[in-house]
Amino acid sequence: MSIAEAEASQLAVEQPSGLWSDAWRRVRRNPAAWVGAGLLLFFVICAVFAPVIAPYGPQESVGSLAAVPPGPSAEYPFGLDEQGRDVLSRIIYGARLSLLVGVVSVAIGLSLGMVLGAISGYFGGRVDGVIMRFMDLMLSIPGFLLAIGLVTLLGRGLFQIMFAIGITTVPIFARLLRGSILAQREADYVLAARSVGTPGLRLLTVHILPNSIAPVIVQATLAMATAIIDVAGLSFLGLGPNDPGLPEWGKFLAENASRLQNSAHLVFFPGFAVVFSVLAFNLLGDALREAIDPKLRA
Amino acid sequence: MLRYVAKRLLLLVPVLIGLSILVFAYVRALPGGPAIALLGERATQESVEAINRELGLDQPIFVQYLRYAGNLIQGDFGSSVLSRRPVVEELLERFPATVELGFAAILFAVLAGIPLGFVAAKRYQGVLDNTSLVASLIGISFPVFFLALIMKYIFAVRLGWLPSIGRLDITRSLEHPTNFYLLDAIIAGDGAAFVDVVAHLLMPAIALGTIPLAIIARITRAATLDVLSEDYVRTARAKGLTTAVIDRRHILKNSLLPVVTVIGLQTGLLLTGAILTETVFAWPGVGTWMLNAINNRDYAVLQGGIVFFAFLVVVVNLLVDISYAFLNPRIRYQ
Amino acid sequence: MPLLEVRDLAVRFSTRGKTVYAVNGISFDLDPGDTLGIVGESGCGKSVSSLAMLGILPPAGRVSGGQVTFDGEDLLTLPDERLRHIRGNDIAMVFQDPMTSLNPVLTVGRQLTEALRTHLDMDKKEAAAEAGSLLDRVGIPDARQRLRDYPHQFSGGMRQRVGIAMAISCQPKVLIADEPTTALDVTIQAQILELLRTLVREEGMALILVTHDLGVVAGVCARTHVMYAGRFVETAPTAELFANPKHPYTVGLLKSVPRLDAVRKQRLDPIGGAPRDQTSEPTACAFAPRCAYATSESWEQLPVLRELDGATGAAAHRVACWNPVPERDLVAAGIRRPPAEGQSSAGLGEERPA
Repeated sequence: MSIAEAEASQLAVEQPSGLWSDAWRRVRRNPAAWVGAGLLLFFVICAVFAPVIAPYGPQESVGSLAAVPPGPSAEYPFGLDEQGRDVLSRIIYGARLSLLVGVVSVAIGLSLGMVLGAISGYFGGRVDGVIMRFMDLMLSIPGFLLAIGLVTLLGRGLFQIMFAIGITTVPIFARLLRGSILAQREADYVLAARSVGTPGLRLLTVHILPNSIAPVIVQATLAMATAIIDVAGLSFLGLGPNDPGLPEWGKFLAENASRLQNSAHLVFFPGFAVVFSVLAFNLLGDALREAIDPKLRA
Repeated sequence: MLRYVAKRLLLLVPVLIGLSILVFAYVRALPGGPAIALLGERATQESVEAINRELGLDQPIFVQYLRYAGNLIQGDFGSSVLSRRPVVEELLERFPATVELGFAAILFAVLAGIPLGFVAAKRYQGVLDNTSLVASLIGISFPVFFLALIMKYIFAVRLGWLPSIGRLDITRSLEHPTNFYLLDAIIAGDGAAFVDVVAHLLMPAIALGTIPLAIIARITRAATLDVLSEDYVRTARAKGLTTAVIDRRHILKNSLLPVVTVIGLQTGLLLTGAILTETVFAWPGVGTWMLNAINNRDYAVLQGGIVFFAFLVVVVNLLVDISYAFLNPRIRYQ
Repeated sequence: MPLLEVRDLAVRFSTRGKTVYAVNGISFDLDPGDTLGIVGESGCGKSVSSLAMLGILPPAGRVSGGQVTFDGEDLLTLPDERLRHIRGNDIAMVFQDPMTSLNPVLTVGRQLTEALRTHLDMDKKEAAAEAGSLLDRVGIPDARQRLRDYPHQFSGGMRQRVGIAMAISCQPKVLIADEPTTALDVTIQAQILELLRTLVREEGMALILVTHDLGVVAGVCARTHVMYAGRFVETAPTAELFANPKHPYTVGLLKSVPRLDAVRKQRLDPIGGAPRDQTSEPTACAFAPRCAYATSESWEQLPVLRELDGATGAAAHRVACWNPVPERDLVAAGIRRPPAEGQSSAGLGEERPA
């Protein structure tokens, strides 16, 4: 900040307020956050109430088998697929899978990463060295390649896929938490707590963790976006969930990629479903990041 | 500077050793062996053992690793169990396709992303700034294969402007001394072939480069905004320098520092994106090669592919660190 | 006609719908060789004023009124290109923080030569030679060798010397130094001030020294303006200001710094209250809320600078106050000796160690 700006900001007297309420106020003021939250809510409603909202079941044939299935019409707004199933219904049911994959895989990566990061940051020394070198090693393998490798190793069950994608996010969360613990550990309030004899574990859970949590939330939101993209990518490569009936968007899209020329709707509708669900998480994550660290507002 | 490079190189050794162990352990853990892949599920016990002996898979695990590591150092990745050709030979054919694609993509991303981010920052909160912010957020929300399919649909299927698959029209003959087709066309002095190669490269490169473009533009913008409010920019203005000199010498040179790091971080994303892009455009690169290997349980090829990708990531990051030090005297003189 | 004539300069900042009235009409003249101090606490608008004169305000700020006439031209209405030729060439600036005011990725030599090459059309070799002698003049050892070094290889004080060398490189007619010593150690401060004083004398430059520290102007400036809430509240020859302050704010400033030459044992007495929230244009005395002498007039009417004692020209002492501090209070505060003890207090400023 220049002197002049510093002067100007000193002049404008602002109400003092807490970190969290401040962040919350900035999120609410950000239109991107509203759009992201709205989109996300829309997908959550689709997922939860799929049987109520979707006109047909995900496997239900309402038309006949066709080499060139009919495109969008008044009756079937997103058209039918080659087995005569309603595309709109399949996409609505697909929201369940994408959100599930996003949430579960990030939950796996987050919990493993946090545990490793906490151990690393709290104990330091040799433990820290070993864990962090291993994380570095994992990071030198591109995440999606790691996911491909793990799925090849573990098999193509839905849980295995979520686990594989979750694992790729472990190093990010571990590093993030370790970094913030190291920063907090030297902070005055932690030194103060330590000087009055607060036991180690309590120091970690009561004093350090709550103050390190904000960037983790941001990262988790953004990681969900990546998880949804990754599962779609795996499906596209033929490494998606092996249950043939699952209306997973990426798989749906991949199965129909060869029909692009005559039945583009079978590619575009599931594709845009992926784009918008990912966008929801990206918008929200971005808004949260700006809110928590105004310097990044940039 | 030389000392810095040497130090960085030395730091690579443990990383490479760790990687080789990881890859080795991983490949051994894969379900179903190469013998099964070669002979089918109904192979007899004896024929499986014979194949395993032939491939050295009956040895203790650490002997296998040492042999493997020794071979790796000599550039011997083994042979594909399917084609029976040395993996290195196939890799040499394949990797120029992926590197050419990746390089074209990152070139596109850098050439478009840096100016875009810079101009957006200079017009902070203007129309262009807000538009590019929204556009870049939408851009990073696209799965790369979907973007590739959309482009293919528009420019190849509907408009017919660009070829939809491969690196070169199959009716065209071109010598391939380097397997970098752009270079090959230049060496052959064949202008028409060069144009054809570019036409084939255009769509995959743009599809693959779009997400890095969005990320680079965002980082450039954020970094430039930071630099714009720095005291030394005010000093430069107080000196009465022209806007062009201030932009280039005082602002851009500083705001590129974080951008260089981010470009390095994009390499992994770019390579995995290449696997998907290659699939869409039937691009005969390392990505499609590895996918085949996965489907055929071709250990040696999969191993070679993973090592190659990881090696590329490590090398690019080394180059990025060095160029970062080159741009930032505070690192260089440490 | 003076070299630089500032009339009713006003600057506003607009951020997030709020307007901050940073500078609210200041006027002063500067002749060649003049040394002028502008003193006030942070936020009073003193730095903003100098940036505004050069047209390099941050994006949120804009000049909302007044003229800045230099060599017969109004800088505020000049085309950008013409103003650019004046910046760094005729009017140059030294900034507060030498740690952040130099570009970290360019060599010191590069940063020194670029103004020379832009304004004086020197070629690379000439500029490099000149840059070497400039570093030498500001007292950097091994000047020629150090041109290839980067700012982080210099200490804070040395960097500020580089900053000064950059500012004087094109032999400007006016040098504005904005808190040039604030970020430095006390011992280094004195050296830098001595350097500025010497350079100004030798080059015949006019100097505007902007600072929050009365001690800094004491040794360097012939005349001092005291600024509060974007306006000048008192202006006088520096010695007269120290000996005979009239505005309660000036008196407060003097009482809040320890003085070795205090007439009698002095108790440090900080000014109470906070600076004025400048989100509206002042319509009364801005200092009234913090002032012991405030009367109803202070709360209702804006005081303007008025001359005291009939002194005019360079000796003029002006104050913008409805109730100037009476002499007995100056005596009580230890700023002045009781009248009986004589009138040796004039010249006090010059005797003070910087």
